Amino acid sequence: MAAPRSNREFIDACVRSGDAVRIQQEVDWENEAGAIVRRACELAAPAPFMEKIKDYPGFSYFGAPLSTYRRMAISLGMDPNSTLPEIGREYLKRTNSEPIPPVLVDRKDAPCKENVLKGADVDLCKLPVPLVHEGDGGRYVGTWHAVVTKHPVRGDVNWGMYRQMMFDSRTMCGAVFPFSDLGKALSEYYLPRGETCPFATAIGLSPLAAMAACAPSPIPEPELTGMLAGEPVKLVKCETNDLEVPADAEIILEGEIFPDYKVEEGPFGEYTGYRTSPRDFRVTFRVNCITFRNNATMTISNMGVPQDEGQLLRSFSLGLELEKLLKSQGIPVTGVYMHPRSTHHMMIVGVKPTYSGIAQQIAQLAFGSKLGPWFHMVMVVDDKTDIYNWDEVYHAFCTRCHPANGIHIYKNTTGTPLYPFATPHERKYSIGSKVLFDCLWPVDWDPINDVPTLVSFKNVYPKEIQDKVLANWTAYGYPPVK
Amino acid sequence: MNQWEVFVNDVKELVEDTDLELTIRTLNPGMHKFTYKRVRCSVSADLKKHADQLQVRLGRGQLSGSRFSIKVLDEVQRMPSKYL
Ligand SMILES: Cc1cc2nc3c(=O)[nH]c(=O)nc-3n(C[C@H](O)[C@H](O)[C@H](O)COP(=O)(O)O)c2cc1C
Repeated sequence: MAAPRSNREFIDACVRSGDAVRIQQEVDWENEAGAIVRRACELAAPAPFMEKIKDYPGFSYFGAPLSTYRRMAISLGMDPNSTLPEIGREYLKRTNSEPIPPVLVDRKDAPCKENVLKGADVDLCKLPVPLVHEGDGGRYVGTWHAVVTKHPVRGDVNWGMYRQMMFDSRTMCGAVFPFSDLGKALSEYYLPRGETCPFATAIGLSPLAAMAACAPSPIPEPELTGMLAGEPVKLVKCETNDLEVPADAEIILEGEIFPDYKVEEGPFGEYTGYRTSPRDFRVTFRVNCITFRNNATMTISNMGVPQDEGQLLRSFSLGLELEKLLKSQGIPVTGVYMHPRSTHHMMIVGVKPTYSGIAQQIAQLAFGSKLGPWFHMVMVVDDKTDIYNWDEVYHAFCTRCHPANGIHIYKNTTGTPLYPFATPHERKYSIGSKVLFDCLWPVDWDPINDVPTLVSFKNVYPKEIQDKVLANWTAYGYPPVK
Repeated sequence: MNQWEVFVNDVKELVEDTDLELTIRTLNPGMHKFTYKRVRCSVSADLKKHADQLQVRLGRGQLSGSRFSIKVLDEVQRMPSKYL
């Protein structure tokens, strides 16, 4: 099965497999659409494709695009029944392959140019921008999208998924954190020079382009999208600046970011399951041009309690990107996993404990990396613990993590304003703190006499006894075990 | 009569019968609902004092029970002139 090349192909594939439902009755952009997406996330239900939106004839919504592993498998062109480790292996295989550069297409071959609004015609309210949650600080234009920019000196392209709120008909504002690629370009280059930064927001991307935009990978996102899809992504030049955007995106907003003028953004429902970050003056965007496909579909990710893309997809890519990083440093990791229900706050790392201090080395690399601000707990378990099995991990944590020697706290690190436990001061200045739970037996313990023996069916009985008990299980009178 | 909404951390920020500068959003039905303006205005707990009504939300979006009437005196341009 080939990976869907566009949002439209993805919706079709999901409808065919029963992973999306077509909603034909009219849906209100104010709260109702958001509530449908939220409930679908909480039930892990099929994604809603809402074909009729109040006040906005001709537009539709697609919500919760990648909030299940089934839809993630479909986006990669895999069998929807693929297991999480299988999807993870495929992601690693594709993202370790040769970069596939994008190709530029003519504007006549770019569906995103079917309608063009410029000058006085530019009005964000002409798009069905949803009020995602009651009480949000505004209607959010960008919840599942990519903000496209180009580094002014190095020239590398950045696609980042940074939320964008509609402030007025031509102005948006959003949470671009200072440690993100765009945040750094703004503070290192544009702010000191007082220059505006050209941007384009692409909404309704192919699922793999969206996956690339929120993956913490060092590979530029257009190449990463190509690697994930196995073919080049098609780009087209913007109308009013030099940037290039995915030609088959549903909606494109072009404009400029002000380096020194900010308006109020938020509050907004966030991936932690709360509204945490305060309403604040945040990065501000002026929209100069809007282009969109006929019958454009706006994509909505509705963040709140698990599980939505903010947890499921980000846990997936943060874990796998950390695995790549640790392996690149020669650390004998056997796997890295984040449970989506941890709201991507806890990295579980499996490792062969071959030398002292290996858990600290892992934690320092993890917290010190570009990924670090997004999680605050690292739990290191040995290679015999199944990192995907929370019962085993929790047992290891509760029995092997020494309360005085195994818990290491790191203070004054980089955080985000989104951490619910952080103090108001820490939130304002993105100050974090982190903790390592070292659940490894110390290497200086005698493995025979000091390390306790795990007492489990698998570990203490001879193979022939295990086989006999398994073979006779139903004969003993038990129902079969699935 | 227009319906407006404001976000504040504390309702005490809305001092009555003085010149205030607030960022308010329209709740009038239609496609521009929830868009913002920066305005100079005067508010009163007496709901009949001014024709327009103001609803209040707190820091994390909670709807406050306090209601005001509001008179918008003029729109304030905060954007530096170099960007206009
Ligand atoms: C639905 C969704 C919304 C997100 N919103 C934001 C956001 O508002 N601000 C932010 O900095 N990162 C946000 N992220 C995470 C970024 O997309 C992610 O860190 C990405 O790698 C861009 O970061 P970079 O510029 O550091 O590469 C979001 C991710 C998802 C899945």
